[in-house]
Amino acid sequence: MDFRLTEEQEFFKKTVADTIDRMVVPKAQEIDEKDEFPWELWKEFTKLGYVGLRYPEEVGGLNADKIMCMTFYEEIARGSVGFAQSVIMNILMGTYFLYRFGSKEIKERCLYPAIRGEKIATMCFTEDQSGSDLGATRTTAVRDGDGWRINGTKMWITNGPICDFATVLATMDPSKGLKGLNFFLVEKGTPGFASGQIIHKLGCRGTVTGELVFDNVWVPYENFLGAELGKGVFYVSDILDEVRLMTGAMALGITRGAYNEGLEFARKRVAFGQPIGNFQLIREKFAEMDTLMNAARLMVYYGAWLLENGMDARALAAEAKMYATEVCAKVVDEVTRIYGANAFAYEYAPQRYFRDARFLLYGGGTHEVLKDFIGRTILGKL
Amino acid sequence: MNILIFIKQVADTEARIIIKGDHKSLEIENKYNMNFFDEFAVEEAMRIKEKNKDVQITVCTIGSQKAVEALRTAIAMGADRAFLLDGSKAATNDPLAISRILSAFAKKEGFDMILCGRQAIDDESANVGAMAAEFLGIPHVSAILKMEVVDGNAVKVENEIEGGRGIFEVKLPALFTTQKGLNEPRVPLITGVMKAMKASIPVVDPATLDIPQEAVAAEASKVTILSYESPQERPPVKIIEGETPEEKVKNLVKALKEDAKAL
Repeated sequence: MDFRLTEEQEFFKKTVADTIDRMVVPKAQEIDEKDEFPWELWKEFTKLGYVGLRYPEEVGGLNADKIMCMTFYEEIARGSVGFAQSVIMNILMGTYFLYRFGSKEIKERCLYPAIRGEKIATMCFTEDQSGSDLGATRTTAVRDGDGWRINGTKMWITNGPICDFATVLATMDPSKGLKGLNFFLVEKGTPGFASGQIIHKLGCRGTVTGELVFDNVWVPYENFLGAELGKGVFYVSDILDEVRLMTGAMALGITRGAYNEGLEFARKRVAFGQPIGNFQLIREKFAEMDTLMNAARLMVYYGAWLLENGMDARALAAEAKMYATEVCAKVVDEVTRIYGANAFAYEYAPQRYFRDARFLLYGGGTHEVLKDFIGRTILGKL
Repeated sequence: MNILIFIKQVADTEARIIIKGDHKSLEIENKYNMNFFDEFAVEEAMRIKEKNKDVQITVCTIGSQKAVEALRTAIAMGADRAFLLDGSKAATNDPLAISRILSAFAKKEGFDMILCGRQAIDDESANVGAMAAEFLGIPHVSAILKMEVVDGNAVKVENEIEGGRGIFEVKLPALFTTQKGLNEPRVPLITGVMKAMKASIPVVDPATLDIPQEAVAAEASKVTILSYESPQERPPVKIIEGETPEEKVKNLVKALKEDAKAL
């Protein structure tokens, strides 16, 4: 067993951390306060090339291993989870189906510009009545001439209102449940495709999240993203573990950001003539937080190692997502207690971490659904 | 043009530094970076490379294996190659010994220009650049704020001097130390980071260089640490009282004259 990062991975981690400290951390509070997409930062940051992180070099990517990917997700979320969500959508979910199934033209028109940060990608699963329950998807895609006719509304779409293209989950036939689901590419400017309501969120502000409307949208046949009709859910499961681990890594990022703030505060804040870090009840909090954080880190990075080595990570990835995000919620709470009343003021960072942490509890799968999945995986069909 | 850059890996400004019980050594948290002033040197070399043909940038440092990280950062920023000079047996706390080793390496590798930070932010000695130039018998200008390559043989540089700017045209080869304000160091592109991750960085034993080994060995150090002491704690802030701004200013002047004796 060797838990060490290689010298190269260490260097990658340090460089990413320095980049985030320099470019993202100073803007985090402003991004949160304004709750607007940080276009300028997006341009500057995506120019560096990180969006191609997980793709092969021949498509403009970097072929980074899964440990490096998790390192990146963790670090960028430590900087600003609002910004991180938009970037990671382009890196992972928003471009995955285009890379895997897109035609040469689709790749040239959408994938490569997205890797360069010139286009913004998104992926749409959720609807107003369905999230984890994909079988209840009501958006339809039916054959029409040489293409597909898409109708429906998607909700909670990260980057939705500002996207240049979307990978859309739709059913060919609602009576087929999961077996009727497929993915389709819809590009901005396609008649009938519009963004609807923007959701004003408690946390993860700066990411534009909202509704996308498909009103009789027609797309050519090649916009079907898959090898075989009816296998949409099957294809999703191929990146689900990575998405869950990514959510866990983001949670680790928020956790560390909050923890570091708490540490700094405990060292400097003086009460009763000494730094509050000298008091046993404050030390106990750090002992608890550090233990939880280390356990969460081990799970997330072990999951990444399993994925990297082509091993089964289904249950572990779900557990890591669940555990790391619960740890995150616990740690941000403890940090607000260390900060005392200052944590309740917008001028200080703990309240931001506290709000941001909430979203990861549901994003990437609610824990009620995940627990059911983990239980089923363990017990099998009885 | 061959540009050689001397860099140093130093403790991060936010690293926790504890003076050990003997007061003669330090315990430093494991957070290290390329020296702040050296980043300007790497950036300036990159800008010269972008504007001119056939420029090769080489970086080197003296230190432990850990210092490879700082060399990789320079490669990520765009340097072509890097060398680690093994500091395990050298007097690395003595700028004179460091200068001897670096200049001997420079002589061996060849160069048209040497750049390095004006000083390292750990020991703040600001000696190495000038001393290395002296050992090499080349001109040097310190703390430059502007540089322009006139042609392949000379550069025009500016630095800050008391009450103004010094402007120099310097024939190459020459050495320049870099100051904040010269440029804005770039954030490495990920392609640079990946290149740096894979780069092989040769380790050079100073014993293979043409220098009197007895002058650079650890025991030859001319620097003796007598004691490390923490900086004195700042006295508490005094709030100047007063009903009106005028009264506050009056009280401030009084305090500066009578208490602080600064006026």
